[in-house]
Amino acid sequence: MSKVVDREAVRQAIEKLPLFSSSALQLLQVIADPDHELEDVVKIVKFDSALTMRVLKAVNSPVYGLVKEVTSIDRALSYLGERMVISIAVQENTGQLFSKPLEGYQSRQGDLWRHDLFSAIASREVARYAKGDFDLDLAFTGGLLHDIGKSIFASFWKEASQDALGQIEQGIVSDYLMAEQDLAGLDHTEVGYEMARHWQLPESLQAVILHHHHPAEAIECMQPLVYAVHVGDIVSMMAGCDTGSDSLKYHLDPGYEEFFNLSPTNLAEIVLNAEEEFSKAETSLKS
Amino acid sequence: MSETILGIGDYGAARHPGGVVKTFALGSCVAAILLDPRTNAVGMVHVALPDSSINEAKARQRPGYFADLGLVLLIQEMAKLGSPANGRGLVVKLVGGASIMDHNNTFNIGKRNVLALKKHLWAYGLGPLAEDVGGNHSRTVSVFVDTGKVIVNCPGRGQWEV
Repeated sequence: MSKVVDREAVRQAIEKLPLFSSSALQLLQVIADPDHELEDVVKIVKFDSALTMRVLKAVNSPVYGLVKEVTSIDRALSYLGERMVISIAVQENTGQLFSKPLEGYQSRQGDLWRHDLFSAIASREVARYAKGDFDLDLAFTGGLLHDIGKSIFASFWKEASQDALGQIEQGIVSDYLMAEQDLAGLDHTEVGYEMARHWQLPESLQAVILHHHHPAEAIECMQPLVYAVHVGDIVSMMAGCDTGSDSLKYHLDPGYEEFFNLSPTNLAEIVLNAEEEFSKAETSLKS
Repeated sequence: MSETILGIGDYGAARHPGGVVKTFALGSCVAAILLDPRTNAVGMVHVALPDSSINEAKARQRPGYFADLGLVLLIQEMAKLGSPANGRGLVVKLVGGASIMDHNNTFNIGKRNVLALKKHLWAYGLGPLAEDVGGNHSRTVSVFVDTGKVIVNCPGRGQWEV
């Protein structure tokens, strides 16, 4: 099978991406540090006026129903939590990447952002059921960025994607990721990983992006985080928050059972809570 | 043509000419669809979970989210448009209930949704005339008042009638 995607063209597209602002990068690095405190996040946001404005706008969105207007970033952060600030910073720094339709996946405008935001919230909910200590907001951030590779890969994937579903149904490949590899010679997780390296994202987030469909391949210390996002991604697809033709065309890795206590009831709670928080987050981020 | 778009946990019905009831990307959720051949009314509920006892607060806020409460409300909604309040004579179709590949019992929410809906349909003496459920693909479904047709769309797979 010919590999129709030109790796060099993909590399050039990634090279052209604007870098993250220093405040956004600092935020992601702080979040990836398990010993960070809310005050560390406040300090970074305070020195970025555009980010401060967006955070205040979000917290005063009608969806939160606050009686009194919040005007201080400290209060806004303690109310919204770090995860909403991360969402705003990522949204600001990725421009149109998240919002454009993914041609190769036949998804609609905004579907990638919706999928990643839902996955972020679901990954955090999954992390609540961890058997050990867990940084919930890092799980959120990993979920938010896990599929970023599709934003660049989708336009290259457009032609080759025609045969992907047929290959899966005929048993030629076992899932959508293998179809991407077989037909294009690379897949969205590899492209995302190169984007994360270009942006100099923390290694834990790079691992999530590269391994979220095969979490057992991540190095041992990263596996709990990568498994949380693996499950969060699946919950998002089950809830119908997907990115088009690849929806549900991936394998569940049962290795998550080593790290999380997930019963059918727990999973139903995760779906419920994630859907409720997603509705609020989506509305406030649009405001 | 006027479309009634249902989100997750929503239910709705229509019987005016040109009316369409539609819901997007069902995933493991299931659309229970009711058709009344006598009045031409059509209705749908977008069910996400099988049993409301898991969360009483959510059950009060969004009853349509759950198979046990959603079906009752949909039959009541159809009754407002002239269908029998006991559901007798209604045609039932089920769409959705997909799952991830290699799912285990924990992740088999789609199948549990389908079984729960069938159980509650039996209480009304009803059963699905047709169903397009399971598999590993997310479905968008539209129901047309004028023709009574139930059309399923799926990215990359085209569309078909149930």
